Amino acid sequence: MNFFKKRNKKPKHSSSTQSHQTEDSNKKKALKTNLDENIQQIKQTLGNSGDIITREISIRKEEKIKVGIFYTDGLVDAKSIQDFIIEPLMSDSREIELEQKISSGQDVLHLIKEFVLPVGDIQDVVDFETLFTSLLSGNTIVLLDGYVQGLVIGMREWENRGVTEPSDQTVIRGPREGFSEALRTNTALIRRKIKDPHLWLESKKIGRVTKTDVAIMYIKGIVNDKVVEEVCTRLDRIDIDAILESGYIEELIQEETYTPFPTIYNTERPDVVAAALLEGRVAILVDGTPFVLLVPVVFGQFFQSAEDYYQRADFGTLIRLLRYVSFLIALLSPSLYIAITTFHQEMLPTPLLISLAAQREGVPFPAFIEALMMELTFEILREAGVRMPRPAGQAISIVGALVVGQAAVEAGIVSAVMVIVVAITAISSFVFPAFNMAISVRILRFILMGLAASFGLFGITVGLLVIILHLCSLRSFGVPYMSPFAPFILSDQKDTIFRLPQWGLFSRPRLISQKNVIRENNPSTPKPPPRKAK
Amino acid sequence: MKRRFIILGILIAILIVSTGCWNRRELNDLAIELAMGIDKYGDQYRLTSQVVDPGEVAARAGGGARTPVITYQATADNPFEARRKMTTISPRKIYASHIRVVVISEKLAKKGISGILDYLSRDHEHRTDFFIVVAKGTSAENALKILTPLEKIPANKLFSSLDTSEKAWAPTVGVTLDELTSDIVSKGKQPVLTGLQVKGNQEIGESKENVEKLGTPSQLQYSGIGVFKEDKLIGWLNEKESKGYNYITDNVKSTVGHVTCPNGGEIALEVMNSNTNVKGKVKHGNPQIDIDTNLELNVGTVDCKIDLMNTKTIAELEKRVGQKTKSTIEQAINDVQEKYQVDIFGFGEVIHRSDPIYWKKVENYWDQEFVDLPVHVKANVKIRRVGTIGESLEEGKE
Repeated sequence: MNFFKKRNKKPKHSSSTQSHQTEDSNKKKALKTNLDENIQQIKQTLGNSGDIITREISIRKEEKIKVGIFYTDGLVDAKSIQDFIIEPLMSDSREIELEQKISSGQDVLHLIKEFVLPVGDIQDVVDFETLFTSLLSGNTIVLLDGYVQGLVIGMREWENRGVTEPSDQTVIRGPREGFSEALRTNTALIRRKIKDPHLWLESKKIGRVTKTDVAIMYIKGIVNDKVVEEVCTRLDRIDIDAILESGYIEELIQEETYTPFPTIYNTERPDVVAAALLEGRVAILVDGTPFVLLVPVVFGQFFQSAEDYYQRADFGTLIRLLRYVSFLIALLSPSLYIAITTFHQEMLPTPLLISLAAQREGVPFPAFIEALMMELTFEILREAGVRMPRPAGQAISIVGALVVGQAAVEAGIVSAVMVIVVAITAISSFVFPAFNMAISVRILRFILMGLAASFGLFGITVGLLVIILHLCSLRSFGVPYMSPFAPFILSDQKDTIFRLPQWGLFSRPRLISQKNVIRENNPSTPKPPPRKAK
Repeated sequence: MKRRFIILGILIAILIVSTGCWNRRELNDLAIELAMGIDKYGDQYRLTSQVVDPGEVAARAGGGARTPVITYQATADNPFEARRKMTTISPRKIYASHIRVVVISEKLAKKGISGILDYLSRDHEHRTDFFIVVAKGTSAENALKILTPLEKIPANKLFSSLDTSEKAWAPTVGVTLDELTSDIVSKGKQPVLTGLQVKGNQEIGESKENVEKLGTPSQLQYSGIGVFKEDKLIGWLNEKESKGYNYITDNVKSTVGHVTCPNGGEIALEVMNSNTNVKGKVKHGNPQIDIDTNLELNVGTVDCKIDLMNTKTIAELEKRVGQKTKSTIEQAINDVQEKYQVDIFGFGEVIHRSDPIYWKKVENYWDQEFVDLPVHVKANVKIRRVGTIGESLEEGKE
């Protein structure tokens, strides 16, 4: 029993204190009055990087004031800088006005900011840390000799992918816009869908080295304020050096449980995000990735696709039912096959049993090994199909699976039924609109296969029970994961398995918004116009 | 805390690997038994298992050199030991869940079948959905060795033939294990089992020649119902009596019979719907039974001069059919009362339901009461349809 005694924990080696010190010193370093010293400091810190452009000019004919302009090549609109920053500072006409105003006793920096530079986005900067962050985000810095304050001008422009069709959640009917990697483009796409003044946006910079822009959007008045608070708290708690993708944030802010199921939803489509915001959810947008996170999320959401709402209600309902059935098929078919053919042959009808037995004659491996081999082969083919260059990818996965399966059957290594089972499982797992749920199913399928091979149907039942218990214990930002099934809310059943027509969707999910639940006031069922009395 | 989880996880993984998966049987480790035959020689039971060869039976081309089924035999003091002894011959352990038919030889049936039935009921692998039949004039082993045309697996042929003939021709009855045991145990009804005969040469029937010739030389045929007293076979009913039995026990779904026409000739009618109500009464300490049969018929074949469009003819035919049915039923009951003196029709149960107090007095010697039991039969017949032509050819010939 010595194994189970707790060992004394060794104190953790704190390596983070060192980097903190340099940051503190940076923070405290204010800009110097002398422009040359500032330029020196900037060049030194940036290591004379070739893409940081430094431009020194002088303004005012008599008492020349030196001005330093800095920007990062590639992140700025260089022509606009010439036209709207350098040109006005250098032009003669402006200088005459400037002289007049200076004689009345105002300081030059203030005057430049107010009268000379016709740009939209100007802010002040007083310390080096903010200066570097702004400079490397694509802003332009203007420093004046003799002034401790500098100006940060936003004139960003860079190459990006633009608004293209999202690659994974495709629909037949509905908008084909997808988010791109630029944060501003994404927030703009959402603003275009929701033009309400209560759609608020909070910005943060997360990641010590990458300083990634992260924005939180929600509709004040519909959203649960506690959730917003919780999201902000968790984001502020993140202490990591790099945020490269929203997946990093997803892992860092999700609930502290070890679960194969995703508790945060991600999507590439602005219409999905807009719909979620209208239900009272919070969107987290991360610069550099088109995948936007949505919290809180419930289990039923992973089975919904935007298309359910754009097509007719009956189609939406039936397709959703199909998705739930596919979920069960994808999770359980190999396990059920293994369990029934190795432990419970009495459950099969006799002709089926004879047919299966005929196929297994001569197969050298037990059913579990067969299943495992085929599943692994299929997973390998699937991964290969994803990573291959586009033209070859499709061919490999479909043809490869079929050919390998057929050849294996003819060689007598696996039975034909196994290939069918694996194929049906794989195809069913493509039905989910959400990829992260499909991943969970893939993992759980192997565990259930192991249980089925060891304990038969009893093992499957126990496994399913454990999964269900686990699911019911999950929470996503305070909302129970299995609502509206687990805390059974009758009014929310209208949008989980069924999809009632638009005139029936009169309220928002209760546990997510918790106030302001009514969506429509007079659900107007379609009725023929009343007959005129004769 | 984390450490404990890791250790626990390792222990569970080791557990699964070291204990293995007991009870796991791959499909190709099974010898799927589809029919079982039981004979008794002296004191020893001889068990015959008809096991299917899946490769030969499968839907795809399965070769043709081997027979689709194989029989294994073993002899021992009781059927359980015989079953296990069979493993000295068969390459795999016999898997008995999918049995369709159990054939008991006549000799064993005359000696008593409760031993067999106990083995069949107690074993956990046997389900209760198989039929039990008695091999008449031959041993069970021989009956199971006959190859059948059309249906590759003889056990399937036995099963479906019994089932279909019960539904379409009615002088056979498919008895499952639970019905049989409840009949043996109950004091108000004695069990019955259908008889199986091998028609033709046994030698040829066992070889592939049987299925290679067009007019199958050797066939398995069901014939007549065997009457049991408790668990011993005491005699056989002929076809007419067997039909009567099925009418009384409300087991007829469809059958065909004929009556003579008013002007000579015969007309055959098909029973579409049959419903029998058996009611028991005890009057002044004497039991009596009323049987009410309701039949709905279609005209099948007309071989006489008769006008079927006339309602009077139809009424006349109905009367004749009613008389015929009544006589069939009465004859069946009289024969059983005289020859065998056991209540196979379940009249005891009916009396039990109607007058439990009287039943308690007589239940131990009910069969004696049965011999003198008065039975009143009433047959109500309705002819519904006449087929797709109206006038018969005989009628239209002139």
